Amino acid sequence: MLIGENIKEALRSLVGSKQRSLLALLGIVIGIGSVIAMVSIGTIVQNEALRQFKEMGTDILQASMSSGRDSRQGRNEFSLRTVMDIPYECDRISLATPQTSVYGKLQFSGNRLDIPALGVAESAKELFKIDLSAGRFISDLDKNMFYCVIGSKVARFLRQNGLSDPLGEKILFNKEYFKIVGVAPELPMNSMRPYQINEGILIPVTTSFRFPRAPKIQQLTVRLAPGADVPGATAELKEYLQARDRVEVRITSAEELINRMQKQMQMFTLLLGAIGSISLIVGGVGVMNVMLVSVSERKREIGIRRALGARRADIQAQFLIESLILCFVGGLIGIALGVGSSYVISRLSDWHFLVSLPAVFLGVGVSVVIGLFFGFYPARQAANMSPIEALREE
Amino acid sequence: MIKMVDIRKSFHLGPVEVEILRGVDLQVEGGDLLCIVGASGCGKSTLMNILGFLDIPDKGRYIFEDREMRDLSDSELSEIRNRKIGFVFQQFFLLPKLNAADNVCLPLVYRGMGKRERDEIGMRMLEKVGMADRAGHKPSELSGGQQQRVAIARALAGGPSLILADEPTGALDKNTSRDIIDLFWELNKGQGMTIILITHDPDIARECPRVLRMEDGRVFSD
Repeated sequence: MLIGENIKEALRSLVGSKQRSLLALLGIVIGIGSVIAMVSIGTIVQNEALRQFKEMGTDILQASMSSGRDSRQGRNEFSLRTVMDIPYECDRISLATPQTSVYGKLQFSGNRLDIPALGVAESAKELFKIDLSAGRFISDLDKNMFYCVIGSKVARFLRQNGLSDPLGEKILFNKEYFKIVGVAPELPMNSMRPYQINEGILIPVTTSFRFPRAPKIQQLTVRLAPGADVPGATAELKEYLQARDRVEVRITSAEELINRMQKQMQMFTLLLGAIGSISLIVGGVGVMNVMLVSVSERKREIGIRRALGARRADIQAQFLIESLILCFVGGLIGIALGVGSSYVISRLSDWHFLVSLPAVFLGVGVSVVIGLFFGFYPARQAANMSPIEALREE
Repeated sequence: MIKMVDIRKSFHLGPVEVEILRGVDLQVEGGDLLCIVGASGCGKSTLMNILGFLDIPDKGRYIFEDREMRDLSDSELSEIRNRKIGFVFQQFFLLPKLNAADNVCLPLVYRGMGKRERDEIGMRMLEKVGMADRAGHKPSELSGGQQQRVAIARALAGGPSLILADEPTGALDKNTSRDIIDLFWELNKGQGMTIILITHDPDIARECPRVLRMEDGRVFSD
């Protein structure tokens, strides 16, 4: 009962002392705002990372030599044949590509650029979801040929040196002339997609063996057959590689990486939320402070109301509602501020913006709880004041 | 209507305990007009606060309309203040942010009465004290006499059976005081309202049918 009257009364009192209310509001706005912004940004970053993974597909496994040169049998590489046979030998795997790495100098019209080259098989196109912006991909028929697909960074470098249509042109990499057969666009990166795609050039894996210090196949990537389960495929691949090449392998699944990443992101979001919460608590203390001042300034009023028949509960409700309204309004503004600032930050960082609904509900809930919690003590103090002492107050 | 037996009340003034009321016996009937006089500090206001259920005595019995004060909880005391007692204070004690009509209606708010009904009663009370044309004014826009009229309307709004007035003319000039006192007389004679009045003014006391003199925490009849 009396809720309507109390709300009216609270609004009158809050508007009556504008400066004080605004200061208390500011604390809550900043508190809620920072919690929402932090949690939203955490969620946005998390989604962003997931999106980059999902765009390539999560049915990916990566195999590498375990702990580098740990090779009791004296071997520390996969043989090309072993890798190329994977789709035929393992039922649960449909695609496989070896990966070799070569670093070197790219020279074009007198300018140089240090870039990596990645030796791959034809299946890499589908495995890493590389949709070329021009030309064709490396083919398995390009065996030993000096053909390459250039990534976005090299394309940019060539354009800066006056080559706007690089298709069919020749570039000098590590003292060998490579013909450009395809151009890849800039692709979003994740830990399953080799960084060389954007940063350097792709060449046939057999061609990579022709460089003076021939690289070894120490890493390979496979895609699961439709409907295959990750643990089963992992076991099958591991067994196959160990049996064929007598090497110790470590297999990482995209699923595992995503889970690990998600856990890290959640910790990160939690941490951000915790940092925001500190300012929220400071804001709450500000509200309590303002409410205590309001109570002691209005002792006379409390006494008059009590003399006219207000019960303790009525007085307590009056002040509690005042602090609730303060925190609720502050919470709403804070949510707007938090969502707004996370929008701006995600726009500046080129992330997909999204409103984290849990964060918004959390914001509303927390502001109400703050209002109750930090308003309770002042309201109680007001309610427990003796009427005559309150009236005697000047 | 009111019966007080051996009411005692002490206050702590620093380390010293001062007994303000030292055994007050009092009987008031419905329709009485009672005046309490006495030097300041003799306990008039404390007695008034106890009569109005704002304060609780240390000892003694206070029976109001067949109800024992010491049996009542805090919210029952609040309800009696709300429904049975109308206070008029020396300093008027209107809420500065409310206009006259809202001030008058304030006791009714605590009964959970709807706005329309409240406003109707409020207007009627303001008419009774001749302030209907100032209903929308804030207390700061009213003179002292006008504020006290609004306060009296507020005391009447709840339909109380007892009006307690603690030096209602103490802050008013002579002419205004006369008007306010006449209003009280009118309420008592015209409507049979029970009124207990504290005053310093011997002229007012002289007009009263029944005068109590307080001295040293005790009450003597004149």
